[in-house]
Amino acid sequence: MTTTIETTEREQAAFAAVELARHPARPRALQVIAAAFDDWTELRGDRLFADDRAVVGGPARLGGRAVMVIGQEKGTDPMTRAVHNFGMPHPEGYRKATRLMQQAEKFGMPVVCLVDTPAAYAGVGAEERGQAWAIADSLLRMLNLRTPTISLVLSEGGSGGALALAVADRVLALENAVYTVAPPETCAAILYRDAGQRARAAAALRPGVDTAHEIGLVDELVPEPPPGAHAHPAIVAAAIRGVLIRHLTELEAIPLDDLLGMRADRYRRAGG
Amino acid sequence: MDRTAGLMPARRQPPLRRLQAPGPQLRPVSHAATIACAACGRRYVADRYAAELNVCGGCGHHARVGAVQRIEQLADPGSATSLRLEVAMRDPLQFDDGVPYTDRLERARERTGLDEAFEIATAAVSGVPVVLACMDFDFLGGSLGSAAGEMFAEACECAVDESRALISVCTSGGARMQEGIASLAQMARCSAGVKAVSDARLPYISVLGDPCFGGVTASFAVQADVILAEPGARIGFAGGRVIEQATHDKLPDGFQTAEFLLAHGMLDAVVDRRDLRPTISRLLDLYTRAA
Ligand SMILES: [Zn+2]
Repeated sequence: MTTTIETTEREQAAFAAVELARHPARPRALQVIAAAFDDWTELRGDRLFADDRAVVGGPARLGGRAVMVIGQEKGTDPMTRAVHNFGMPHPEGYRKATRLMQQAEKFGMPVVCLVDTPAAYAGVGAEERGQAWAIADSLLRMLNLRTPTISLVLSEGGSGGALALAVADRVLALENAVYTVAPPETCAAILYRDAGQRARAAAALRPGVDTAHEIGLVDELVPEPPPGAHAHPAIVAAAIRGVLIRHLTELEAIPLDDLLGMRADRYRRAGG
Repeated sequence: MDRTAGLMPARRQPPLRRLQAPGPQLRPVSHAATIACAACGRRYVADRYAAELNVCGGCGHHARVGAVQRIEQLADPGSATSLRLEVAMRDPLQFDDGVPYTDRLERARERTGLDEAFEIATAAVSGVPVVLACMDFDFLGGSLGSAAGEMFAEACECAVDESRALISVCTSGGARMQEGIASLAQMARCSAGVKAVSDARLPYISVLGDPCFGGVTASFAVQADVILAEPGARIGFAGGRVIEQATHDKLPDGFQTAEFLLAHGMLDAVVDRRDLRPTISRLLDLYTRAA
């Protein structure tokens, strides 16, 4: 049986914003890494179980300094989307990320995380290997990391799966990205017991990154030239490079103890 | 911009409400009322059932326990004092799904007698000073919104200020969807609380009850030094039904039960509720009295 779901104009507009954030041609982590960083060298594997291709990472150079770049990669075509599991990490992905973060701390490299995931993967293996544990561990490690950290939400910051890589000294987001407690479909299923009411959920929950910016979870929105980043990948990559260098330069001037204190303080008050 | 503008921060008040142990005063029940075990059907007089910690003497089934009753079960008699956090209601999205979210909150407050999904108390367990942070599933499914997150963070701060061990008991469906992104931020806020307790080298013991899912499991509930779970408790990140529908994978036997997670190395122990207090007492003794 099919039911027609009536949506108001406001709901349609809210869901259109979600669809824009999900535009298949939006810049992906690997593209941003290639365009905005130099000498990126991929390091793979969590040293425990597997190499999760939903998370990529490794050292690179940004404006002269070495940084550790970690990104959630969604893929750019049917083949790479499958390889990267549509950007939905397993616990191995988070454990690879935290391994690289620890390494960055050891060598005094700032960490840059590129966040782009609908959610952490929900599956039998992910649960057996402690998806919740891996995310919780990443949250705590990012709070404790003794090196400057920046997270940038590229397109989709979905649930704890995104937050696990977005507890940082500076959290930035491309202006057409979304940052949500769960995808609108999931929210609709929980709130209205009907995933089809995703437009209604989108209107009610205001998934745009401006909401996260209002509550202080995101510090700065990176403007995208109309109609959006998907149409101007080179301009957006250059803007990302510029904004990352500006924030890194600011963060590097702050003594580490102060930086960690400010970070803890910031999250102690997170979300009102 | 002041990000806290318009929000009333929780302020710790001087303790007024003293929690009683074990207290029909707090949860008035008719003496005539009987409760049936959900697993085997054996009937109990309500008072007797509460005295048995809501565990069936016949089959061992563990029924859900409210936050106040939890505190009574774990604290030394007469030692528990509610932190009396006066948290303001938060409704950042003016959420309304036919029933305004603030009305739902008001109803949950009336039904449970709690301000939020947490009850926080200072107490002693076998003489060791602790902060107990207990979740109540009856308060909107124990979901984690910004007021609840604030309460847990306050609990951590109290532990640090007063050099107390932290004990949390979690039963939660996860994030409070009605608060949107603000509820997601609570995972980071609660983690910052745990970090403060950890930096102060104070022990943190987490007890996972049934059920415990989503953003609660994926943050403070498993960031403890010791993670215990109750028998049969369902614990995980995504719910089993969600996984089955999304992946069409067959779920293994006992998937996401405490026993399953113990076998997969995610827990330190599965502890019968009747052994919980002695187990926690022993751990606290070991972790707080090193010599
Ligand atoms: Zn029974």
